[in-house]
Amino acid sequence: MFCRNQTARATVARGSALEMEIRRGKFRNSVFLDTSQDSDLQKKIDHEIRMRDGACKLLAACSQRDQALEAAKSLQTCSTRILAYMSELQRMKEAQVMQKVTRRSSDAGPMDDRMPCKGKVAISDLRIPLMWKDTEYFKNKGELHRCAVFCLLQLGGEIFDTDMVIVDRTLTDICFDNAIVFSDASPGFELRVELYSCCSEDDYSAGSTPRKLASKLSSSLGRSSGKKLRASMEPGPVSPVSNGGASPLLLPVPSVPGPKYHLLAHTTLTLSHVQDSFRTHDLTISGNEECSYWLPLYGSMCCRLAAQPHCMTQKMMSGCLKVKQCGADLQSWTKVYAVLKGTSLFCYHRQEDVEANVEPAFTIGINKETRIRAAEKDPQSKVQNICISNQYGGEEVTHTLTTDSREDTHRWMEAFWQHFYDMSQWKQCCDDLMKIELPSLRKPAPATPKQGSLYHEMVIESSDDLSSSVSDILARRLQELELRSQLGTSPTWMSLFEENSPKIVGRPRPCTSRLSGHSPCTPHRLPRSPVSPHRCAQMGLLSSDVSLTSDSDSHCSTSLCSHHYGWPEPSSNFPILSSSPSRLRPRTLSLDAKLSTLRGRGLGGGGVGGGGGNCHCSCQPPSSSLLGPSPISSRSPRLQHSTQTTLSCSSSTSSSSSSSNSECSHSPESSEGVPFSRPSPVRRSLRNLRARLDPRNWLQSQV
Amino acid sequence: MSYIPGQPMTAVAQRIEIQKLRQGDHLILGFSIGGGIDQDPGQNPFSEDKTDKGIYVTRITPGGPADVAGLVMGDKILQVNGWDMTMVTHDQARKRLTKKKEDVVRLLVTRKSLEKAVKQSMSH
Repeated sequence: MFCRNQTARATVARGSALEMEIRRGKFRNSVFLDTSQDSDLQKKIDHEIRMRDGACKLLAACSQRDQALEAAKSLQTCSTRILAYMSELQRMKEAQVMQKVTRRSSDAGPMDDRMPCKGKVAISDLRIPLMWKDTEYFKNKGELHRCAVFCLLQLGGEIFDTDMVIVDRTLTDICFDNAIVFSDASPGFELRVELYSCCSEDDYSAGSTPRKLASKLSSSLGRSSGKKLRASMEPGPVSPVSNGGASPLLLPVPSVPGPKYHLLAHTTLTLSHVQDSFRTHDLTISGNEECSYWLPLYGSMCCRLAAQPHCMTQKMMSGCLKVKQCGADLQSWTKVYAVLKGTSLFCYHRQEDVEANVEPAFTIGINKETRIRAAEKDPQSKVQNICISNQYGGEEVTHTLTTDSREDTHRWMEAFWQHFYDMSQWKQCCDDLMKIELPSLRKPAPATPKQGSLYHEMVIESSDDLSSSVSDILARRLQELELRSQLGTSPTWMSLFEENSPKIVGRPRPCTSRLSGHSPCTPHRLPRSPVSPHRCAQMGLLSSDVSLTSDSDSHCSTSLCSHHYGWPEPSSNFPILSSSPSRLRPRTLSLDAKLSTLRGRGLGGGGVGGGGGNCHCSCQPPSSSLLGPSPISSRSPRLQHSTQTTLSCSSSTSSSSSSSNSECSHSPESSEGVPFSRPSPVRRSLRNLRARLDPRNWLQSQV
Repeated sequence: MSYIPGQPMTAVAQRIEIQKLRQGDHLILGFSIGGGIDQDPGQNPFSEDKTDKGIYVTRITPGGPADVAGLVMGDKILQVNGWDMTMVTHDQARKRLTKKKEDVVRLLVTRKSLEKAVKQSMSH
């Protein structure tokens, strides 16, 4: 009898049932034995499952739409990756099984199949044009139907996702700026591009079930309904992989309330689509107009698909050779260190030259037209020569190579054959090396609002009579301020900012003074709300920009304020207007004082320019674009007394760089002593014009 | 230059061709525009008719391409390279002027002084 804890050696008869049993057992175990590849995959799967759980938790927890969309995107990506890894795992298991089976059944013949080299495939600059109906595009009223879209790109076992883009009808193309590089692709690759979209406005859960209820329901789904839900959630059928307990069963997809992405379009790209430039490919669109996630796609996709096979970028073969060029009548062999890479055989004088990046002594082209053959044995040496023939413009040039030993020759021939095979497999990719840019890891600059701040383009020119204009402006301001505090009313456009206060909350609200606009016009504007809701959002967002960059008035006073009071970021928090009059009183007095000191120092433009510089530091995007056009204006000639030029000079202040250059010429008019002096008639009309051209009242853009 | 929406409009117009100037990454024209169908026309200091929602030139950079080409502050822009500018939003107008692919813009502009000049010449 066999005892469990005693190892006994038993002789087992050959061909007996026991032996077969044992063999089968080993076989069975070996199938499910984790090879190193499997464990790699396993780790990846575990990682993705963890990521997915994290994404689910985030989705459940987040309240903001953007976050929810991003979390849903990562959830989708993780699910797809898990699916891919699972199927990869299954395939590998099956392959193993098949291998064993074939090994048992037949003798393994010589594996003569040549494998082409792998390569890098990069896809970048994806652009998917949209085809809105004119009525939709130009209508521009009503709510903006928005969708969040992103792309999933899958090649082999690698899945990457692009950044998410919000699309609405003001966009004509969906552009994904990411460049994605797949590092291990074979020539027969299939790059699957899938476009997922999700309506960005609906209530996230199906219907409007309250969150708690929805989550309760989701966690308490029964088996059959869970299966159904799973099937509906995932794009493809999910097959749980069951093996000897090594990898976990596929976890049910958690149905988390939140935005869900649906497949909108897909396409598959292969080697034939690879080209060094942009190409348009067709998209297969799934879904129709009824779906919430529908977008009117034009039906094609433009992208740049480039491939770098390793035979083009890596050294395929290197070694010492002796080369003789036929036809040149040289009987001497040149000893070189040759490197086979890309479309040529580089021959260096010494091996060290390769690392030193010295130019090769000469280069023999190896391309599709090249013919290589083994020549007859050289009578002197014992090895065969290799002849490489190329056509150089009608002329045939032959190089003869020889090595030191037979094995070397054989290896070189092998390398050449492999190279030719690779080139035949990778076809057009081997004509020339396609550039692939590695995606930069740097986070992109925070995106400016899509339509861009119109005031980014506002040129702030140098002002020759800046000091006087500043004083006038401030004088006017102070007067209006008094008025304001007495009136206790706010200009109409304040209401705009009130509506949008959430956007600008958190910033200190010191500069109500400077925004206390233009009293003459206020009564008129009271009943009007000139800006449509669509614009409103923009205005609100730009309010601080407006005050910072565009208007000289606001700019000057802001800069002064910030310069001297250390107000970090001027902005507005208008609902608290009632308290403002009281707060403003002390400021006006100091403003007064500061003004006189400024005048005393005669800094005029310099002070403001400097202040402007400070101001601009706090909002980088405007200043950087301002620096562009400003050189033209900062060199403005001496003032002529034309309305045009004085207006242009005085209605703006310089940006940080030109500020240092600009305060060169102060016009004679600038020598006004007292801040609150009565302005001349010319100046008054100019001021009126300037006042009326205040971008807060009437939008202007620099082109 | 009074404009009744929906009715044909006649105006004495001048063609102005502006060569854009390259400033680093940008192509600039050297003027500012105001107006648009989404803006408040009452704020326009240059328009005769305060219901005119057209695009007006509000500022010219002295010495800039627009100045050199003869654009004057207060001009109303009727067309840009054939695209209409009398019924556009402010941003559409800006975009039509700032196309990166175009090096030159041909504007059709009108101003009060042109009409006056024509009337004067006609009366003689």
